[in-house]
Amino acid sequence: MRPFEYVRPAETEQAVAAVTADPRTSFLAGGTTQLDLMKDGVLDPQRLVDITRLPLKGIMHADSRVHVGALTTMEELAADPMLRERLPFVREALLLGASTQLRNMATIGGNLLQRARCRYFRDPTVAACNKRNPGSGCAAIHGIQRMHAILGTSDQCIALHASDVAVPFVALDVVVHVQGVDGPRAIPLTQFYREPGTTPHIENVLKHGELITEVEIPLLPEGVLSHYLKVRDRVSYEFALTSAGVALQMEGDIIREARIGLGGVGTVPWRAWSAEDVLRGATVSAESFQAAAEAALEGARTLPGTAFKVELAKRTLVRTLETVAGASS
Amino acid sequence: MTTLEDPTRTVIGEGVDRVDAPLKTTGAAHYPNDYTYPGMVHAALVGSTIAAGRIRSIDASEAQRAPGVLTVITHLTAPQLERGPMTLLGPSPPAPMQDDRILHYGQHIAVVVADSPEQARHAASLVNVEYEPAEALLDIEDPRAEILENPWGLDSERGDVSAGFAQADVVVDERYTTPDNTNNPLGLFTSIASWHGDSVTVHDSTQWPHNVRTSIAQIFRIPESGVRVLAPFVGGGFGAGLRVWCHTILTAMAAREVKRPVKLVLTRPQMFTSVGHRPNSVQHIKIGATSSGDLTAIEHRAISSVAMEDDDYEPVAAGSAVAYECPNLLTHDRQARLNIPCPGSMRAPAEGQGNFALESAIDEVAHALGMDPLELRLRNYAEQHPVLGLPWSSKALRECYTLGAERFGWSRRTPAIGSMRDGDWLVGYGLAGVSYPFYQVPCQARASLRRDGSAYVTSAATDIGTGTYTVMTQLAAECLGLDLNRVRFDLGDSDMPYSPQAGGSGLTGALANAVHMACGNLVREFLDIVRDDDASPLRGAAAEEVTASGGRLHRTDAPDQGEAYTDILNRHGLEELSADGRSTPPDPQKIGMATAGAFGAKFVEVRIDPQLGLLRVARVVSAIDGGRILNEKTASSQITGGTVGGISQAMFEETATDAGTGRIANATFGDYLMPVNADIPDMEVIFCGGPDRATTVGTKGVGEVGLVGMAAAIGNAIHHATGRRLRSLPFTIDQLLL
Repeated sequence: MRPFEYVRPAETEQAVAAVTADPRTSFLAGGTTQLDLMKDGVLDPQRLVDITRLPLKGIMHADSRVHVGALTTMEELAADPMLRERLPFVREALLLGASTQLRNMATIGGNLLQRARCRYFRDPTVAACNKRNPGSGCAAIHGIQRMHAILGTSDQCIALHASDVAVPFVALDVVVHVQGVDGPRAIPLTQFYREPGTTPHIENVLKHGELITEVEIPLLPEGVLSHYLKVRDRVSYEFALTSAGVALQMEGDIIREARIGLGGVGTVPWRAWSAEDVLRGATVSAESFQAAAEAALEGARTLPGTAFKVELAKRTLVRTLETVAGASS
Repeated sequence: MTTLEDPTRTVIGEGVDRVDAPLKTTGAAHYPNDYTYPGMVHAALVGSTIAAGRIRSIDASEAQRAPGVLTVITHLTAPQLERGPMTLLGPSPPAPMQDDRILHYGQHIAVVVADSPEQARHAASLVNVEYEPAEALLDIEDPRAEILENPWGLDSERGDVSAGFAQADVVVDERYTTPDNTNNPLGLFTSIASWHGDSVTVHDSTQWPHNVRTSIAQIFRIPESGVRVLAPFVGGGFGAGLRVWCHTILTAMAAREVKRPVKLVLTRPQMFTSVGHRPNSVQHIKIGATSSGDLTAIEHRAISSVAMEDDDYEPVAAGSAVAYECPNLLTHDRQARLNIPCPGSMRAPAEGQGNFALESAIDEVAHALGMDPLELRLRNYAEQHPVLGLPWSSKALRECYTLGAERFGWSRRTPAIGSMRDGDWLVGYGLAGVSYPFYQVPCQARASLRRDGSAYVTSAATDIGTGTYTVMTQLAAECLGLDLNRVRFDLGDSDMPYSPQAGGSGLTGALANAVHMACGNLVREFLDIVRDDDASPLRGAAAEEVTASGGRLHRTDAPDQGEAYTDILNRHGLEELSADGRSTPPDPQKIGMATAGAFGAKFVEVRIDPQLGLLRVARVVSAIDGGRILNEKTASSQITGGTVGGISQAMFEETATDAGTGRIANATFGDYLMPVNADIPDMEVIFCGGPDRATTVGTKGVGEVGLVGMAAAIGNAIHHATGRRLRSLPFTIDQLLL
């Protein structure tokens, strides 16, 4: 049994200071990833700072934005009436993630920081994992690749970011508020994650000890419809093979603005900027949707086990666009 | 005495609730992991991280020094062990930790014993191993693999296959594959061993306590009388509990060394490498038919994988020999020796794989002929056992087809591919036939009647969720004329009369006939006591003249002439009477009938989203000939559970192995997919036929038949909906993108 220390401060500053001071101290929120990884011997913190008593829970609406405390659970956020009205694709993505039991434990801040599901990362008996042990190689590239990424990968890591809700979040330009010892800062989610490159062990721009305190979600303009579609190997309780979160601002059958996120394909929650560019000003048609899908998947790098995902991701996006545009007309 | 055909019988066949349900639902049923002993300590296993080679060095010093550690046993310190006995299912697994050789990934190479499970597990991670790796053989088609030809002597040949294909107007010749599957019972397998001198008590997640007893005795060279094995409740098995695996032996070994009771609970990843799995298969099947739909030849060749120095009974192709009336037939089974954890039976072993190829290929023939696949099956119906040439002891497969088709609405099927739709979803109808093999082995039971009029019936069987407790209680109550709540049936203790394994769909039949005989003999005991008893209205009565009912025996032709069991015991100063019963499997040649297993017809409707490759099973009708059904509710549950297992095999399950290392790449419930409730549709079960003629009780096991046929029926429905023939399980989205 690996002994570790456990503390539960009441103030955010204390928690941030405690983690910042020691590289082997970690935050503990819902624990749905952290504790699994500790039991499996992947993470080995000497101290856990339980943040569940910090005043970071709750949802506030102001200025066409939803301010979500980082400790708000996935279920609590999904139950917010404003999501049903103005951010349906966020609600859909939340409710298609994990299981009810997990959603009751998992926090929004923790969801954004969830670690890779890669079985090579999660099994310490596998020597080669650049994410777990920098410079050791990547067993997944030569392994079972079905649940891995095709966008944003590198020769050193192909691990997927498996969050569902992060997909509409990146599409919405959600802002992440963090607190560090030097004070607070705000980071757009689209600039929050780091693709693996040559440093797959660094997954985001947070400094050690910086704590997510709030996620700020801009509402979609009135009348903008959205949808999140998740394609997976079983109907429930499984990660996406591919997913798409789409919001379209329509004027007749002209698309004025498009926001598109893709899941199941990226090493980070994937914002499909080029697909949005294709659709902005375009007329709703099978051709424009197909062109958007082609643009979105441009540059995908596949392995034998992930080759099917390119076509599946395109079709997933096209279907989602059809659904949103169909509902708008 | 009472026969099971007696119209007054009330308890047999009824959908009685499980007698153990209150225990299970309140948490009072004790599974192996729930037991604890004073002074008990905990073991954890170290598994190899290569699949082939040798241990160059193993350093346990750091683990030894870890908090709470009592001992670390490796091949360097393990006692020499005998290999376990030859069993009904083949040889026992090789004894563990006897040398430095590594034959598969995850092989147990050290046992750590510590005060707590957490300490043991942590210390296990500190054992330092250096290997001398060798190249592992992992691919079933690796030409370097040793091939075992016809390993069970079950290959069959009749007629002239070449001539048969020459007569055919249509020949289908295809390759089908099935992946490794892992049994994954919910209960993590647990062993507890507690020694007293040369005697040992073992709690084990087993489907066969007597096998554990015999094995422990032989392996540790101690008398069987000193070994007691307990398994009153087991958290599922699906075949994983049929053999005595190494972790059980290592638990007993560790407990003997530390002279304390030891508990070992496998981790979920260890469940993938320690307790068997359904081996993958590659099958070539060739079927010829005339234009009118008469089968002219079947050739089915299968290869399965097997471990380097172990055995597994998996005759994948053999079942095709008895499925259809076909004059020319050849089945051929082979095994390839690989550096893999040893396979073992998994619910419907061999049948689950072989039926997928056969019943899919039959559908291919029907399609090539432009014939309704149901009609093709009925046209080639095997009225007699095709190998033995004897009439079946029972076979209601025709009724399964016709009643199942009626219930399902098969006639609504429009044959053209893609011709049925529901909105944007393609709809497909598919079916498969199942002829499950007969399996039964000898079994014993004991029945006692006590002075308060209650009965106690025992046998060392197991109830792995199948309903054994319940149906045997019903049967004994029926035979003895007692209310259900006056009968207790107990099992799961090797000190009870011998029972074979809960496996091969054979336990209910074997045990029911033993219980039936024990109860009959008990009635005879009572009649013996009153043979010359002037005070008894039953004086001189023969068993054949007597009926048991309402806690008493009476003359069948004069119901008022009789008395209660308790009156007889009281008058004769007896505390209780007991009698034994045993069953032996019927011999086809003696009874002039081919002993029949269960039959079934599976009807499936699927929906497919062709753009996204989504497959949904929309409904299933299972029509099953299970012989006499002892309990409509538990039997139906077996079929339903089997159907879920079949959907799982068809659409989800695949144990993935890393090509380089032999490591199981998805050895968790998060990564190894099985269906969730939302994947499972309405499932209807109907029973056809009646009691089997080969045995007194006339049951046929229904534990496995429900799984078989699902993969083929779903695949056939996919073809009907899309025109795409999928020949490789599981049917996943990437195969279905159209």
